[in-house]
Amino acid sequence: MSGMLDNGAQLTTDTGDEVSVAGMLGAGGQGEVYRVKTPTDDKALKWYYPACATPEQRSIVEGLVGRDFDDDRFLWPHAFVTGGKHGGFGYLMDIRPDRFKGLPALFRRQLRTSPLALITAGLNMVEAYQALHSRGIAYRDISWGNIFFDPDNGDILVCDNDNAVSEGDSTGISGTMEFMAPELVRGDPAAVPGTQTDLHSLSVLLFMLLMNHHPLKGRAELEIRCLDEAAEKRLYGKRPMFVFDPVSDSNRPDPVEHGTVLATWAAAPPILQKLFTQNFTEGLHDGTRRVRETQWRHALSEVRDTIVVCAGCGRQNMTEPRSATPGICWSCNRVLVLPPRLLVTTLRPKVERNLRLRRAAKVYAHHLHAEPARHRYDSASLVAELVEHPQKPGKYGLTNRSQENWTTRRADGTDQQVAPGQSVPLRAGLEIQLGSSARAVVSAT
Amino acid sequence: MSVPQPDNPAQPWDTRHHSVQGPAKARNQDWSDVEYTPDGALLLAVADGHGSAAHPLSHLGARYAVDVFKLCAAQFATRARAAGDGAGGGLRRLWADAHDRMPRELVRIWQDWVVDRHTPADGEEHRTGPALLRAHGTTLIGAVLTEGLFVAWQLGDGDLMVVHPDGTVAQPLTPEQAELGDETESMCSRQAWDLVRVHWAPISDPARLPRLVTLSTDGLSNSFAARDGFIRFVRELDQRINTEGLAAVGDALPGWLGRAGSYSGDDTTAVVASLKRPAPAPMETED
Repeated sequence: MSGMLDNGAQLTTDTGDEVSVAGMLGAGGQGEVYRVKTPTDDKALKWYYPACATPEQRSIVEGLVGRDFDDDRFLWPHAFVTGGKHGGFGYLMDIRPDRFKGLPALFRRQLRTSPLALITAGLNMVEAYQALHSRGIAYRDISWGNIFFDPDNGDILVCDNDNAVSEGDSTGISGTMEFMAPELVRGDPAAVPGTQTDLHSLSVLLFMLLMNHHPLKGRAELEIRCLDEAAEKRLYGKRPMFVFDPVSDSNRPDPVEHGTVLATWAAAPPILQKLFTQNFTEGLHDGTRRVRETQWRHALSEVRDTIVVCAGCGRQNMTEPRSATPGICWSCNRVLVLPPRLLVTTLRPKVERNLRLRRAAKVYAHHLHAEPARHRYDSASLVAELVEHPQKPGKYGLTNRSQENWTTRRADGTDQQVAPGQSVPLRAGLEIQLGSSARAVVSAT
Repeated sequence: MSVPQPDNPAQPWDTRHHSVQGPAKARNQDWSDVEYTPDGALLLAVADGHGSAAHPLSHLGARYAVDVFKLCAAQFATRARAAGDGAGGGLRRLWADAHDRMPRELVRIWQDWVVDRHTPADGEEHRTGPALLRAHGTTLIGAVLTEGLFVAWQLGDGDLMVVHPDGTVAQPLTPEQAELGDETESMCSRQAWDLVRVHWAPISDPARLPRLVTLSTDGLSNSFAARDGFIRFVRELDQRINTEGLAAVGDALPGWLGRAGSYSGDDTTAVVASLKRPAPAPMETED
C-alpha cells in the first residue's frame, strides 16, 4: 500500500481497545479511510493527513465521539484512535455497505435507479440534516462527496461528519466551493458557516440529486476555460445566477451540453421547481429566504406520494401533488392516466395528505401523523397497501397492514370492521377510519 | 524504439513510452507522452483515438488529448505545490480541484482545440459542433506524480496500473462495472467531465511512493485472455526492472507491444514510470 498506514499496523482507541489495519478503502481531502479489525467486528478508520491532523481537528473529533450520536443515517465517529509509526490520529465509524453509492456514479449514468428512489433519497437527506440542525449542530460541508444513497430504495448515509460542530463553533472548514453559500464564497465579513448556509448547500445537493446538474452552471460556466478560484468565486459568489432564473435567461442551460438538466427540469413538478427557484433567486441574496428543511420535507413527501407509472411505457413520473390535470410522460410523451387518489386526514391537528393509488401503493405510519419525526418507508412502518384481487384481475383493494382495526362505511350506510390482514374493495367515495389517528377517502380524480 | 527521458538525478522516476500500430490499422490512433515540469513534477499521458468510421479524425483527437493533459497537468502540479506549502485546507481544496476543475478544463480545452484547429481536407465531410467532436473521439489516461502527491485521471477504457512498495499490484481506476462491447466513454461524450474517474493518493512519506506506474491503451490488456494475465504481466514487468533495469525493459517494450497488438488487433501503447532503483547486479559470464 502507498497510504499512511501499513496492513497490520496496531492502533489504540480512546477506550483502550487495540485495532489492526486490514486494508485501505479510499482517500479524500483530509485523510485516508482504512478497514480495521476491532475486538468486536470490522470498522472503518479515518486517519488524517499530517497537515490536517491539527489540535483543532483533534478537539472536534473528540467532541463528536463524546456526543454518542446514534442515527442509522450517519456514519458517525464512534471512537477516537491514536498510534502509528509517525503519531497522528483518526476515528472509527461503521463501514459503508456496498449498496450505498456515491452521486458521481449517478452523474455518470452508471446507476439504475428511479424517481421514487431519488425522491426518497432527497427526503432522507433533508431529514438527516434536519436531525443534526435540531441538535444545534451545523454540518458545514454538505456536498456530493459526503453522501451516499441506495439507488434501489433511497436509503442514505451521511459520511465525513468530522466537520460538524455546534452552531457558532469554528472548524476552519467552510465547505466545497460549488456547494458554499454565496456570502461564504465572497468572504463577506459577517458570514460564517452554520445552519443558514447549510440550507443553501442542501438545496444544491437536492438539485444535483434530482436534476443531475449544478443549479448555477449554465452558459456562463461554459464560457469559462480556466476554472480557477477567481472564476469559481464569480460563478458561485459574486455573480451567481440560477440556470432557470425566471427573470434573466443569461445563464440558461446550453441545449447541447446541458441536455440532461433541461430534460430533468421539464420532468419535475411545479412544487419542486418553485422551491428551487425561490432558493436560487431570492435565497442567493438573502439567507432568510432559503428553503427550510420543513418546506423541502413537505414537498418531497407529497411528490413521493403522487408519483405515477405511465400506462404506456411503465416509467415512473412525478406529478403535481394536488393537481387533477394529468401531465405528459417524460419518457414516451403520452398523456398520463392518473390513478385514484387517497386523501388521508390526520385527526388532531388536521393535516391532509394526498396519495395516488398507483400499483402497489403503500400507506405508512408517518401518513397518519401530522408532524412525523421521520418518514420511514420500511415494512415495519407499513399501514396499508393496494393489492390486486387474487381471483379478479383488475379489481383492487386496500389491505390493512397495521395492528389496529379499520372501520369503513358500506354503501347501505352500515359500518364494517376491517381487521389487520383483511382488505376492503376500492371504490370512489370509500371512507376508512384508519385506526385512532386518521381517516381516508378515496377519490376518482 | 521506446522513448527514454534523459537521466536527471533530481528526478526520482525513470520513464519509457512506446506505441505500436495495430496490424490491421491504416494508421496508429494512439498517442502518448511523458514530461517533467521545470519544478520536477512528472506528467504521464496516453490516449486512444476511437478509430472507427464514426471517428475518422481520432488520431488527432488522441494527440490533442495528450497535449491538453500535459498543459492542464503542469498547471495542476503548480497548484499542488502551492497547496503543499499551506495548511491542511490546501490539500482539501486541491482534492476538489482534482475532482472538479481538472476534468472540466481537460474536456473544455480539448473541445476548443478540436474546433479551433480543424481545417477540413479537400472533399472531407463538413462537420461542426458535436459531429466534429465525435470525429475526434478519444479516451485519455493521465497522471501527475509530484512531491507528496500522485493523482491520475481516466476517461474511457485503458489501464492505470500501480505497483506499491510492497509489490502489490493495484488498478485504482478500473470501473466497478466493465464497459460493454467496444463502446467506451469518450472526450466527445456529452458532459464528458462527469465521466472522468480520479485516483487521488497523497504520499505522506517518500518511502511509500509507488515503485511502478503504467498507463496503457486497451490494446495491451485486451491481448490477454483474462485480467489475471494482464496483472501478472505488470508484476513481471516490475520484477524485470528490478533484475535487468529499465533500459533493458525499455528495449524489449516495442516487441512486447507488437506481440500484444497481434493478439488484440488494436494499436497498443504503454507508458512506464519506474521509481529509480539500485542498478541490477551485473550478469556473471563464463569467460
